[in-house]
Amino acid sequence: MLEAKLDLKLLEMCSKCGACYSICPSCVNIPGYDPRAVIKSILDGEHEKWINHHSIWECLECHYCLEMCYQHYGFESAMTAMRNIATRKGAHPPQVKRGWDMFVKTSRLGEPALPARKKLGLPEPKASGAEEFRKLYALLNEKRAQHKAE
Amino acid sequence: MKEFAVFWGCTIQTRFPFIEKSTRMVLESFKLPYRDIDGFTCCPEKSLVNNVDHGAFVVTAARNVALVDELGYDLVSPCTGCVSNLATVRGELNANPREKAEVNGLLKEIGREFTGTASLKHLVPFFHDTVGVHTIKQKIKRDFKGMRIALHYGCHMIRPSHALRADDPLNPVKFDNLIRGLGAESLQFMTKLMCCGQGLDRIDEHDKALDFARVKLKELKAMKADALVLCCPSCFLQFDNNQFLMEKEGERFGIPVIYFTELLGLALGFSAEELGMSNHRIDCASFLTKWEELSAKPAVAKGIEEGLTGPNALG
Ligand code: SF4
Ligand code: SF4
Repeated sequence: MLEAKLDLKLLEMCSKCGACYSICPSCVNIPGYDPRAVIKSILDGEHEKWINHHSIWECLECHYCLEMCYQHYGFESAMTAMRNIATRKGAHPPQVKRGWDMFVKTSRLGEPALPARKKLGLPEPKASGAEEFRKLYALLNEKRAQHKAE
Repeated sequence: MKEFAVFWGCTIQTRFPFIEKSTRMVLESFKLPYRDIDGFTCCPEKSLVNNVDHGAFVVTAARNVALVDELGYDLVSPCTGCVSNLATVRGELNANPREKAEVNGLLKEIGREFTGTASLKHLVPFFHDTVGVHTIKQKIKRDFKGMRIALHYGCHMIRPSHALRADDPLNPVKFDNLIRGLGAESLQFMTKLMCCGQGLDRIDEHDKALDFARVKLKELKAMKADALVLCCPSCFLQFDNNQFLMEKEGERFGIPVIYFTELLGLALGFSAEELGMSNHRIDCASFLTKWEELSAKPAVAKGIEEGLTGPNALG
């Protein structure tokens, strides 16, 4: 339920195109970064060789490829799917691990800087939705477990 | 104008409370009906949460949107990422009735409902579309005539366009219109729409993040831009903080990085100090000094009118 997906038909088309390569900021500025190679591996049934590779994390999710794409697909679809697979195997970068832990625990990526707020004369921050969020996330995981069992 | 909740987001409230300050100051100045509401969480940050668990990404954003839906408010944020993430999920749910029903099934158990009716806007398109360049022009005390400004839109102010509908995703104009409305020149340059690259810092690739910052800063230095103006805390971190780190290592760019709300605040007559600009890592003094000097010059075409119409030697 609510899992990430990858449309293989569109990916197949994408592997024959490559048009957005030249406007992708990571392709232009990071030597060796090339989603086309990742896409080829996926179609060849060899996606596993990218699971521990830093390239899949170097997609900046700038959505340039998505906007350029004649099928509104984008390199990023494949890169996001690969990141999801890598994460499920525990191969995500340490900072992503720390960020995720903080997010599930507190529902935020940091707490309001109270002393600085006071100095600037800012009002008290509003109540966070942390408790409700934790409930919601637990519900999602319960439902997923039910789906699996059925 | 419809009341709207401000979605501050984690980065501004955690790292840059002075951005919240200048945002509140400009919202107050225009007497805009903004509200602070209880219950928001992280938007959530797509590159982090969506890469780990797509479902968590969807339900968290849907819940945040539900909070404003219920109150009948719109939502405005000074963070590009927050709006983009919330709008992405809203777009996904509105396009997939089955998924929307699933999400609402979960939300119902915590007493909420996602309808997706609230308008979700970033502050820049909001000022452009809802406040309007004309109103801004009337309200400001001093413009930026003579100042050369380089704009950085920030990818998520305009993309993904199917979800945001904020501006042209490949050739945006609204931020430019606002800057020109403030009297400044909006420079056109090669790397104008290039992604800031801050995402690389979030995956432990600091050197590559610096490479990205360097590309743009080099071009701005060569063009002698007076400032880089943007409206995204992540881009701000990239160009202010990372520029500072590079300067510490001896690479000098000297490009002040100014938040849109600060620029607008200055034009409205607030001082840099009041706006919290002393909290930047890169000193804004060069920008402010040039601006001061320009205002000390005589007004445009001073004396021409009198010269053409006044007493003359022809008798
Ligand atoms: S979203 Fe990723 S793959 Fe697509 S253009 Fe941006 S960096 Fe490149
Ligand atoms: S993402 Fe779209 S534009 Fe880019 S290579 Fe694939 S099909 Fe072509």
